[in-house]
Amino acid sequence: MKSSVSCADDVLVSCRGVWKVFGEHIEDAIQASRDQGISKKQILQDHGCVIGVSDVSLDVKRGEIFCIMGLSGSGKSTLIRLLNKLIEPSAGQVLVKGQDLATLDGPALRNVRSQHIGMVFQSVALLPHRTVLENVAFGLEVQGVAKAERLSAAQRSLDKVGLSDWASRYPSELSGGMQQRVGLARVLTCDPEIILMDEPFSALDPLIRRQLQDEFRSLTKSLGKSAVFITHDLEEAIRLGDRIAIMKDGVIIQVGTAEDIVLNPADGYVADFVAGISRLHLVRAHSVMACHAAWGMRHPHIDLATLPVAGPQADLDELINCLVLSRREALLIVDDGQPIGIVTPTDLLRGVQGAEREARA
Amino acid sequence: MNLSTFPANFDAAVDAGLEWLTDSGAQVFDWINGVLTSLVDALSWVLNLAPFYVVALAIGALAWRLSGHWRSAALTVIGLLVCALIGMWGETMSTLALVLAATTLALLVGIPCGVIGGLWPKLDGVVEPVLDLLQTLPPYIYLLPAIALLGYGSATALVATFIVAIPPVLRLTALGIRMTPRAFIELGEASGTRPMQLFFKIRLPFALPSIMTGVNQSLMMAFGMVVIAGIVGSGGLGEAIYGAIRTLDIARSIDAALAIVTLTLILDRLAQNATPSQREAQNNAH
Repeated sequence: MKSSVSCADDVLVSCRGVWKVFGEHIEDAIQASRDQGISKKQILQDHGCVIGVSDVSLDVKRGEIFCIMGLSGSGKSTLIRLLNKLIEPSAGQVLVKGQDLATLDGPALRNVRSQHIGMVFQSVALLPHRTVLENVAFGLEVQGVAKAERLSAAQRSLDKVGLSDWASRYPSELSGGMQQRVGLARVLTCDPEIILMDEPFSALDPLIRRQLQDEFRSLTKSLGKSAVFITHDLEEAIRLGDRIAIMKDGVIIQVGTAEDIVLNPADGYVADFVAGISRLHLVRAHSVMACHAAWGMRHPHIDLATLPVAGPQADLDELINCLVLSRREALLIVDDGQPIGIVTPTDLLRGVQGAEREARA
Repeated sequence: MNLSTFPANFDAAVDAGLEWLTDSGAQVFDWINGVLTSLVDALSWVLNLAPFYVVALAIGALAWRLSGHWRSAALTVIGLLVCALIGMWGETMSTLALVLAATTLALLVGIPCGVIGGLWPKLDGVVEPVLDLLQTLPPYIYLLPAIALLGYGSATALVATFIVAIPPVLRLTALGIRMTPRAFIELGEASGTRPMQLFFKIRLPFALPSIMTGVNQSLMMAFGMVVIAGIVGSGGLGEAIYGAIRTLDIARSIDAALAIVTLTLILDRLAQNATPSQREAQNNAH
């Protein structure tokens, strides 16, 4: 009993069999899709319904950054709006901190939105007639917090995103990257446990985007927040996400860590996506190593004990550095003082190429 | 039915209907007439309280405050002094009183109705055809029911002007409220705003420029109508023009026209400068 309680505590946001269908005859469309496996396109023809989100179940844990990656039209933006009930689900349950959003009345839902689950938008949505500081204080203003108190809280969150000097400026005076920082500061002011990020960095140029990704990740981790991060960019998902869900046509095809998804794509669609992703920092020694005993038999003149060693969690980048600098034939992978495998230059090259190509060759 | 007697019969029926309406509603119409007339009279009295140069300087100061330029203030004062010099001061002030009264009433009705129409688009199906009709008919038409029920005088002019001034502000208010960007509605909802907070903190600020444009347009419509209303005894410049034309006193009608043009330009500038714009907010920040 106790374990189930603590488990529920650790899951902050949970979707159970959630559907969102736009149109009439929603029930029929869901039934046809669920029971007969009819495609999204066919449902649109037969029932005149557009399936936005199809039977999604997921759990976001405390302290985790959960990325949802999908192309436009995959339903990711609809899904994130179901998590704070900006959109109401057609079927299924959405639980935030164990509370089913569907059972909450107006004030209770407003309370959840204002205190527990914040949102940052792609368009930033800074009110143009207010200063940066007033924008950042907006959430507390809505909650009725006294002016002096909310402005000082807003100033503190501006400090966190490094924009304390811009408090009295207007949003139009800020660059896109700065505006998005203000959006982040605004959500931090209310101190929610969960932050919903709806493609916040998509419109920014690559350098600024990367900088903001790193800032966002370290800020979220240092403040102990959980985040659901929507993106159409797999590299962004990999940089940020503790776990990644890949979405297509309203369905979550695969959920896992970046390494899971890159090494074991669930289907051809995911495989195509990960094909161009650099594996240097994703693939680790334990997934490319070969049996050290067999290798030792084939190379009797080499004493395994003299080979340079690395741990099973070392990534390809480290392994390559280690092997090149040592100028030896191979690396011995050691766990708890015991040799568990060997990595040769061939293994490293295949690792960089990707697992699926090795299988083809 | 005999077609030759039809017009006479129709007229008789209309007369009878109107007679019944004026008889049975006499008290109501008298009361309305009294309230409206005293409203205009009171405003007119206030405007005539101070000597013309004081009023001109006060309006000039207002122009300076709103626009921030001494030149528009100077032009305002000069324009008003010209009105006084050509002997039209009393008429100008009574026209101003009528326009302000009619526009204020139109705003009191138009802005709330526009807000409701903007928030509930379904009401548009009812409101839009009515507004279309109001704006399609020549403004002259509104003098007829007003004069039939309220008689000759400033109350009739006020009602007709009021009707003509409602549609612009109502339309533009509804438009402004409806055009709140989707992302900001989502921001409000995701921040946990109550419906009233969403309206006052997000919808209204975005709608304000559109509403102020509506106020300005209503004011201008009211000006146009006040001149036409001269023929039902509006008093002021409209009646001065109407009277001057009937007696072929061309010089006096040009004096009155000059005063109207001056007053219209001044009020238009004042209303436009009172409109808050986002650019202004930015300029203030620098």
